Amino acid sequence: MRWHDIVDFVPILLQGALMSIIITVGCLLLSTALGLVWALLKMSRYPAVVTAVSAMINVVRGLPMIVLLFYIYFVLPDFHIEVSALQASIIGLSFGYSTYVAEIIRSGIEAVDPGQYEAAQSIGMGRVKTMVRVILPQAVKVALPPYSNTLVMMLKDSSLASTITVAEMTRQGQLIAASTFQNITVYTLVAIGYLLMSLPLMSMTRHLERRFGKHKAKK
Amino acid sequence: MIEITDVHKSFGATPVLNGISLKIEQGEVVCLIGASGSGKSTLLRCINALESYDAGEIKLLDQRVEQRSRHINHLRTQVGMVFQRFNLFPHRTALENVMEGPVHVKKELLHVAKRDAEELLNKVGLGHKLHYYPHQLSGGQQQRVAIARSLAMKPKAILFDEPTSALDPELVGEVLSVMRTLAKEGMTMLIVTHEMGFAREVADRVCFLHGGHIIEQGSAQQVLCAPREARTREFLRHVLGNRGETQSAPEGATGAAA
Repeated sequence: MRWHDIVDFVPILLQGALMSIIITVGCLLLSTALGLVWALLKMSRYPAVVTAVSAMINVVRGLPMIVLLFYIYFVLPDFHIEVSALQASIIGLSFGYSTYVAEIIRSGIEAVDPGQYEAAQSIGMGRVKTMVRVILPQAVKVALPPYSNTLVMMLKDSSLASTITVAEMTRQGQLIAASTFQNITVYTLVAIGYLLMSLPLMSMTRHLERRFGKHKAKK
Repeated sequence: MIEITDVHKSFGATPVLNGISLKIEQGEVVCLIGASGSGKSTLLRCINALESYDAGEIKLLDQRVEQRSRHINHLRTQVGMVFQRFNLFPHRTALENVMEGPVHVKKELLHVAKRDAEELLNKVGLGHKLHYYPHQLSGGQQQRVAIARSLAMKPKAILFDEPTSALDPELVGEVLSVMRTLAKEGMTMLIVTHEMGFAREVADRVCFLHGGHIIEQGSAQQVLCAPREARTREFLRHVLGNRGETQSAPEGATGAAA
């Protein structure tokens, strides 16, 4: 391990890290939106909708994330749907994670006291408004700790994008290692890179758990 | 104002309401008493369609109450409800709780709703707690915010579902005194309660429910002090701890409710 190798590699890896962050944030936003939709559909009053969504969730959960990525990146073009590698990785990861996020949101919603629905109804609030103004803000507090935990998993799984040619941190590492054979240096740096991003997120999770755990006890 | 005709309801195979008829006029204060499981809370919850009913008819302001009706939310804005467990929105302050309905359901202007909400919280004695969150307030204070929240919708009637049953004994009085004021102002009120002393003082009419029937109804004086039915007498003896009358009821009734 030589110092000037490190100096050479780090900027390249940082570019990769930036891409990892872009994938993670994209996945976070999209999977949250999708997860919210699944969760609400799963609580629909129409049994057919519930069955369809539950089946879809089970199918997605039963697939390895990497197969999902391959499917979107390699199979969709056969149906004349072109997506870039970055888009495919964000869509694939989001889809996979949306099912977990859906369950987290649903458990948050179900943890809200039924009396809250009744109070909202008793002042004449409609279903949608009750959800948005009364239920979801309270569900968020319950859902936040497991949700931030999922965020850490998303960050780590963004490395799967390397398998479909996205130049994120793991991929950049692979490329450098392949051309320099500095395996120890490269992969140690990559590992440190992930830790620098995931450890702060994990401590945020612990903080959230403490904070909202306390709030609940006080109630 | 509220017209209940031969209403039946059962939870699965268990009948809860067995043909209840009750008519409440504007400005009337009616107390529903009875043992737990007698159907009084269910009856109350049917009136603003928190529960559906199986047969009969409930009319509120000459409109049929139906859970699936498209107008149900509008109808609900005209009848307030105060819950046993307060059910304040925990993520909003007292002031925001009271403003929620006027601003987000009735679409009132923010500054109008704020002024009205402050006035109402003043009225229930909480003008100094506007920006407190529910968990920072005592049970009695929370229940008074809840009353202000239902008043903010300017309802034609308010339903009270055991409003003091979840309170520590020393906090019951402050809630009852707010309710007393409302009764004096002519608010139409239907109250499920175990506070016999309070019922005797404010109720125009008291109904005793048993097994999903109204067994006895009449003036507070008559039902609580000279009940005609054996089951009413037995219930009152139970609640009032063998005194059989309500002369010094507050402590006795409070004890029974707690």
